[in-house]
Amino acid sequence: MNFIFHRKRISGILTIVPANERSFVEEMKNFNFPEARSLKLKEVMGFDKHRIVEPGVCVSDLAVFGMEHLFKKGQLRRDEIDALILVTQSPDYFMPPTSSVIHGRLNLKQDIFCMDINQGCAGFVIGLLQAFLLLEQQSIQKVVLINADVISRKTSSKDRNSYPLVGDAASITIVERDVEDSIIHANLKMDGSRNGVLMIPAGGFRLPSTPDTAVLEDVGDNNLRAKDHLRMDGSAVFNFVQTEVPPLIKSLLEFAGVSMESVDYLFCHQANRFMLQKLADKMGVPYAKMPSNEVEHFGNSSGVTIPTAIIFNLQDRLVTEKFKVCIAGFGVGLTWGAVLLNLGRVNFSEMIEYK
Amino acid sequence: MDKAELYQKLAAILDIQEVKPENVLKDFETWDSLAILSVLAMADSKYGVSIKADEIRSVVTAGDLANLMEAKQK
Repeated sequence: MNFIFHRKRISGILTIVPANERSFVEEMKNFNFPEARSLKLKEVMGFDKHRIVEPGVCVSDLAVFGMEHLFKKGQLRRDEIDALILVTQSPDYFMPPTSSVIHGRLNLKQDIFCMDINQGCAGFVIGLLQAFLLLEQQSIQKVVLINADVISRKTSSKDRNSYPLVGDAASITIVERDVEDSIIHANLKMDGSRNGVLMIPAGGFRLPSTPDTAVLEDVGDNNLRAKDHLRMDGSAVFNFVQTEVPPLIKSLLEFAGVSMESVDYLFCHQANRFMLQKLADKMGVPYAKMPSNEVEHFGNSSGVTIPTAIIFNLQDRLVTEKFKVCIAGFGVGLTWGAVLLNLGRVNFSEMIEYK
Repeated sequence: MDKAELYQKLAAILDIQEVKPENVLKDFETWDSLAILSVLAMADSKYGVSIKADEIRSVVTAGDLANLMEAKQK
């Protein structure tokens, strides 16, 4: 599905990562595998360091910490926020919405549109599209998009297929009107028939958490996990990405009438280095144009990886320069989407640590 | 399809000297999820073949895998 938006821009990005950094080499002893094989995994997939919250830390804690930082630095005022979108799969509660929890903890005004969106690795794309849609209303001038997840808390530490690559993080993206006549193109696709490829089977109303759903099971390859844990069919996800993402980006560029050569950066969801490099190979995109270095430093934090990769790779250049950027997210749902926009000359581009 | 070349690539993925068609994949200590993912990627990038993980898990020998890939390529 194609979208066009006019006169909208990203005016600032802040990423919040937990101070607690873990190393795959140290964690290898948790896994029942030959060490040489784990080192091979590190080399191929790019597993190295990842950031994990301390026990008990929730999505609203990361979000409020980041928002208070922006208020303190004068980069955002409480009374100018007309909408607050939170994209997460690890809410503080089933009810109320975690966006309401954040709204309350920050003492925001009542003339505001708060909403939670349940989305994962395509969450930055989905959040941006929702922010652009809200900005079509005259009463909404400024949208705060928060992507946040603490998925490590739902991942088995004995599952070598998932645990070494998960990371916890939050990002705050300010989306507002652009005085310039900017045009943003986007393309979004969904396939719910493959909803089981990435899931946490227990803990909802279909299969409530019980002592039984917490029991670790051997799921093959010496990996142990419970029904309460994140389950990912890695090979199916790999095939999905290699099959669906190249035509998605091709069709977006055709729709926008833009060639890949004129795109400065392609920021894809940072699933892992292996998958991203294979994707770049398939699309014939040079690695320098398509960064894949986020996972080895911070881990895969679902919807937060794209803003993190943008800040980590562009840093202060995002404040002084402007780039033509294609953003592509893909994951749970299954959902895959891409946005083509001019990104840069933002008011802030910063990464902070949550302690 | 050059099957000798395919067996060489498979040997590289499995970190061993040589793979023969009659070798049972599960007998290799290095035939794990990483190896399966590497085979999927190799099939896709070198031969333009998309194999499902379930299909690859149902394959017994290296020869079966080569036949699967050849059949898919047609």
